[in-house]
Amino acid sequence: MFQKILREPLVHFLILGALLLFASNLINKRTSGDTRKIVITPGQVEHLEDTFARAHQRPPDPDELKGLIRDYVREEVYYREALALGLDRDDAPIRQRLRQKMEFISEDVAAQAQPTGEQLRSYLSDHPEKFRIDKHFTFTQVYLDPARHGRRLNSDAQQMLVQLNKSGPRADVSNMGDPFLLEGNTKDVSSRGVARDYGEKFAASLGQLPPGKWVGPIESGLGMLLVCVTNRTDGRLPQLDEVREAVRREWANDYRLESNRQFYQALLNRYTVTVELPPPPADTKTPAAAVRRP
Amino acid sequence: MILSLRICRPIALAGLVAFVLVFFSAQFASAQETDTIDKDSAAKLFPKAPYSPAAGRDFPTHVYWGDTHVHTSFSMDAGAFGARLGPKDAYIFAKGNEVTTSTGQRAKLTCPLDFIAVTDHSDNMGFFPELFAGKPEMLADPTGRRWYDMVQSGKGADAAIEIIVAFSQGKFPKALESRPGTEAYRRAWDETIKAAEEANEPGKFTAFIGYEWTSNTGGNNLHRNILFRDNGDKASMVEPYTTQKPEGSDNPRDLWKWMTEYEQKTGGQVLTLAHNGNLSNGRMFPLIESFTGKPIDREYAQTRAFRERIYEVTQIKGDGEAHPFLSPNDEFAGYEKWDKGNLDLSVLKTNDMLEFEYARAALRNGLKLEKELGVNPYKFGMVGSTDAHTGLATADEDNFWGKTSSSEPSPDRATHPFVKTDKAVIMGWEQAASGYAGVWATDNTRQALFDAMQRKEVYATTGPRMIVRFFGGWEFDAKDALSRNPANPGYLKGVPMGGDIRNAPAGKSPTFLVAALKDPIGGNLDRVQVIKGWLDASGQTHERIYDVAVSDNRKISADGRCKTPVGDTVDVPNATYTNTIGASELITVWKDPEFDAAQRAFYYVRVLEIPTPRWTAYDAKYFGITMPKEVPMKGQERAYTSPIWYTPAN
Repeated sequence: MFQKILREPLVHFLILGALLLFASNLINKRTSGDTRKIVITPGQVEHLEDTFARAHQRPPDPDELKGLIRDYVREEVYYREALALGLDRDDAPIRQRLRQKMEFISEDVAAQAQPTGEQLRSYLSDHPEKFRIDKHFTFTQVYLDPARHGRRLNSDAQQMLVQLNKSGPRADVSNMGDPFLLEGNTKDVSSRGVARDYGEKFAASLGQLPPGKWVGPIESGLGMLLVCVTNRTDGRLPQLDEVREAVRREWANDYRLESNRQFYQALLNRYTVTVELPPPPADTKTPAAAVRRP
Repeated sequence: MILSLRICRPIALAGLVAFVLVFFSAQFASAQETDTIDKDSAAKLFPKAPYSPAAGRDFPTHVYWGDTHVHTSFSMDAGAFGARLGPKDAYIFAKGNEVTTSTGQRAKLTCPLDFIAVTDHSDNMGFFPELFAGKPEMLADPTGRRWYDMVQSGKGADAAIEIIVAFSQGKFPKALESRPGTEAYRRAWDETIKAAEEANEPGKFTAFIGYEWTSNTGGNNLHRNILFRDNGDKASMVEPYTTQKPEGSDNPRDLWKWMTEYEQKTGGQVLTLAHNGNLSNGRMFPLIESFTGKPIDREYAQTRAFRERIYEVTQIKGDGEAHPFLSPNDEFAGYEKWDKGNLDLSVLKTNDMLEFEYARAALRNGLKLEKELGVNPYKFGMVGSTDAHTGLATADEDNFWGKTSSSEPSPDRATHPFVKTDKAVIMGWEQAASGYAGVWATDNTRQALFDAMQRKEVYATTGPRMIVRFFGGWEFDAKDALSRNPANPGYLKGVPMGGDIRNAPAGKSPTFLVAALKDPIGGNLDRVQVIKGWLDASGQTHERIYDVAVSDNRKISADGRCKTPVGDTVDVPNATYTNTIGASELITVWKDPEFDAAQRAFYYVRVLEIPTPRWTAYDAKYFGITMPKEVPMKGQERAYTSPIWYTPAN
């Protein structure tokens, strides 16, 4: 009879529940004396009201506030009991979130750092290429659509070049060449900006052209172009005052990454880490792939 | 009632009038208001090109590229998937800098973006106590002062450790505990705003402040992003609206209320755009509201039309322009299709749901509703965005970093299930490397881009940055397609994408100036299509596709279609293609051959590229792997413009 009772799943469940309760009581008592007391302070009530008001754009009415407090108490009870049972330990989202909170600490601390002028100057001289001011171009183009000219493209281009060079750099191109969705006149645009619209290849060619003269056809990612560069400003390294804000931003980002790294390293140093890999499976994947997979 | 009155007025102003007031000089305005213009008056308006090329032209001459939908580690789910990059990193990456991804790989955009919005989920956003961001109280406290000095002298990591120890031992300075309890949520929002403010460089790069409101009851996707026109001073006066009760709600009507309240409180402006109707199981563009079971009413229609002027039509979780079941005659429908079920695959898809999920069908139903309710709730423009949960706004096939950090490049990312339930599976390879938003704005600022979105002068692409112009009016003729800069006659004689044409002159049919230029580093163009939808006298809606310009001298038949495919140069094993077919540019003027002035209609443009390798082909090549047979290895990328609507008088 007794044995039969012991075999009942319900009984197992009850025994397990009692054990868990006992264990959690033990843990609670050990960790802190007043875990059985829940005190909602005026500050917390204000906080609840505040949160509600920001979401609803109005303060809660008395009933709503009661509800908020009731819910907060419920959350607190469950929260404490869950922690006592260790329910946070194997829960991936909770672990992720706590990890993120730690990262926020590190990020925040890093964000406090204000670089001195000297630090910025040396950052600029250590990373000149990051701040190099691009070549800038002012140019006019005439577009030749390969589909419209076919094999005559080159001869058509030569004819137009003669005409254009007669008129010079200020030639009126509003009716020359084929329809094109990019503006005919481009004023003081960086070579990165040129590459964005016309492709890298064309931007690179532009740097080689003699200023003030119509030349072409030059290949772009879009078709052939006749081009007259009227002004070119060479690329150069800027003075700190010209790019102070950008240098500050880059410095801060580097500082942030480095300080996050150090922070983790310092924490890691407090642990001894032992990784026990399972024995590699007979054939299947390479170890590298196996380790990489989450 | 007050709400509907307030909304009513802007709607009446929308389209033409607002556009004219804001964007055109007085000269342009006189031409626009009448909607018709003959050659003589055009000549008077533009007697001679001004000496200065930019003079007298206030219209947008540049398209700006961006992503309105990027998640970072601040999103609960992104974090759980292993995302480590935060908003700051997302902006750094979008600007064209190299970053180390969450899986430790090096990533960089081939071409930087002009703007992005970091839109982390508002529910459970971020976490963290406001520690001590530059507070005077902190400096007054000796421990705080010491930490501050440590940070300043480059010992930030040590300071952080001390802080943690102080916390854990209950020795954290009281002076620094200025708030009751931890204010995690506020904290994440502040961080989000801070990152955007720091990254925002007016004229160069726009970092929108934004968030995602993730209404997902029953796994049915009604997600919407919210973008702020404003800077941090206003955005920080509120906190993002959530879906969890009691603070939030999963009903879009409540989100719209929140938006109105924000605008009243701050004098600012916000917009919202929905996405992934394909995962809503028939709820994204309803005729019957799922929350009440009743037909949508005039107030819903008005508010939605006012609040939701654009829609994110294509993204990693599938393309939502058209579905083959709804458009059986459209051989290009069904691109990157996700139609197995709702977002969590808890309920499978049935065909009757599709009509309320896809953009083209919604545009059609909008005409029907407009006739019934007097307002068209689905009068939206279209953009693409990624919805990447990696902090990496990538939509290029040869540089695709996946939906989540767990689907960043790896040999098996294509063959791992992406979502799996007992009902269905979506495999990793089904992710689409899509899309971006093209915005015709006058400047690269929050305000100019936002305003362009509100007037719907925007278009979607599945990744390539092709330039697309689309103008509608009554007087375009073939010569306009030959003008050196098609935008000049375009703005002079018509309205741009997103606009309205009305009051058809007797005997006239609408004409459209359509132009597309390939991405300078992308595939050539196959064809440009105009897709028309209309409402007939019996209240039925219809759609029809016209090929209006095609490459390689192919013929367009009398029925308006070109039945000859462009061809295919894709070499799958090498993941390459050649631009030996297709055109770099297609420009034409098209006149609706079947126009009926009494019928409501919309017209939008679809541009198709020649076939190019899909990201799965680049993966196979790079990792030296063989993809399963069912995996598509190439595709025809495309652009969708915002429609131009025709509304009959009365």
